[in-house]
Amino acid sequence: MTQEHPHAELSAYIDGALAPAAQAAVRGHLETCALCRTHVAELRATVALVHALPDPVPSRRLVPRLASAPAWLAPLRTLMTLASGAAVFLFIASSLVTNINFLASSGAATTATSANEVSRDAVAKQQAPAAAGAPAATGVPAPTGSPFAAFAVSPTASPVPAASQLLDSARGGATDDPQKRADQATAGPSGAPGAAAANAVNAEDNARLTNAEPQRSPLVNPLLWLTLALISGAIAIALHRRLRSSV
Amino acid sequence: MSGAPESEIQLLIERARSGDTRAFEDLARREERALYRHALRIVGTTSDAEDIVQDALFSAWRSIASFQGISFRAWLFRIATNRALDQLRSRKRRPELPLDPPDDDEVTWAEPVAPGPDLTQLAGDREALAAVDAALEGLPAEQRAALLLRDVEGFAYEEIAVITSVEIGTVKSRIHRGRLAVRNTLISRGWRGPEG
Repeated sequence: MTQEHPHAELSAYIDGALAPAAQAAVRGHLETCALCRTHVAELRATVALVHALPDPVPSRRLVPRLASAPAWLAPLRTLMTLASGAAVFLFIASSLVTNINFLASSGAATTATSANEVSRDAVAKQQAPAAAGAPAATGVPAPTGSPFAAFAVSPTASPVPAASQLLDSARGGATDDPQKRADQATAGPSGAPGAAAANAVNAEDNARLTNAEPQRSPLVNPLLWLTLALISGAIAIALHRRLRSSV
Repeated sequence: MSGAPESEIQLLIERARSGDTRAFEDLARREERALYRHALRIVGTTSDAEDIVQDALFSAWRSIASFQGISFRAWLFRIATNRALDQLRSRKRRPELPLDPPDDDEVTWAEPVAPGPDLTQLAGDREALAAVDAALEGLPAEQRAALLLRDVEGFAYEEIAVITSVEIGTVKSRIHRGRLAVRNTLISRGWRGPEG
C-alpha cells in the first residue's frame, strides 16, 4: 500500500525540493488521494508550528569585540573587585561601631543625667549657709556608674571624639583631679561657693548637650560604605562582562 | 541577512576580509540571535549555546579569509552547527540519543486516537508549541539540526547539505523524518489533521 503513496516525498514536495518530474507526479497523486492530502496538510501545519516557536534571547552579547580591550581594563576590574570587598568589610565594621556607639551614648546619657542631679544637689548645698566650708567637694562624685562610660570616655575606643569630649566636659572640671578639688575646697568661703556654683551650672549645661545627637564623622556612616560597595561591585561586573566579550 | 540589501552585505564581507573588525561585528550582529536560537535548540542549555555562538563567531573571524562558495549566513551556520553537534558528541555525562539513527524509510504515520483540535488551528497555541518543543528535543540531533535549518532558518536543501556536510538525499530524509516525528507527537496528544 505504501508503494502507492509517495509518503517519503511529501516533505520535499511541500518545500518544492523535488525534481520537476517528481513534483508533478506527487501533485497528480494528491488530486486523487485524500489520505496524502491530509498528510500534506498535517506536515504544513507542523512546519508552521516549528516556525512559530518563541525566539529565545541570549543573556549577553555574543558578538566578540574584536578590537582588543584596553590594557588597563583587567587591572581595573581586579581593583574594583577588591574595592567592593573592602567596602563591604568597612560597611560591616562601621555598622558594628555605630551600634556600639549608640549603646554607649545611651549609657553616657544616663550617666550625664546622674551627674546633672548631683550638680543640682551641689548647688543647693552651696546656697545653704552651713555649707560655706567645703561645698564643692560634695558635688564631685565621679559619674562612673554606667558600664558604657569607660567606652564613651576613652578617645581610642570611641569613634566619635566630639561626643567623648562633650562627655568629658559634662563631668565638669570638678571631676578632673583630686588636687583641683582640694584647691576648690580650700579657696575659702568668699570665693569658693560662687565658683563651685558656676562649675555646677556649667556641668549641667554640658550634660544637657550630651543628650543631643552626637556629631558623627561621615566615615562611620555604614550607608556610605554600602553605597561604595554597590557602586564598585557594579563597575567590576560591567568590566568583567566587557572583558569576557573581548577576544 | 534579511532586511539588508545584498550589495551592502557584500561590501561588509569585503571590508571584513580586509581586516575591518567593525564590518565583521556588524555582519555577526545581524545573525547573533538566529545563531543563538539554533544552537540552543540543538544543545538545549543557554550557557552552552551562548558559548558556542561566541566561539563560532570568533572562529569565523579568524578564518574569514577562507570564506567562499556559500552565503555568509550559511557559512556562519555551518560553523555554529558543527560546534553544537561536537558539543553534544563530547557530552559523556548523560546518555545521548544517537546523533543519526539508521535510515528507515518506512516511518509510520500515527493515527489520531480521538478527534481533537485541528492542527492547522494551533499556530499560536502555547500548549501545542510546548509539545513541538518537546518533540524536537526527542529527535536525533542531526535530524533536529536539519529540520531547524529548514523550517526556522529557511535554508534551501542544497545549503543545508553544505552546512551539515552530507548528501542532499540525507538532508531530505532527515527533514522528513523530523517533521513526521513532530507531527506524530502532536497527533498522539489528541490533535487531528485537517480533512484532506
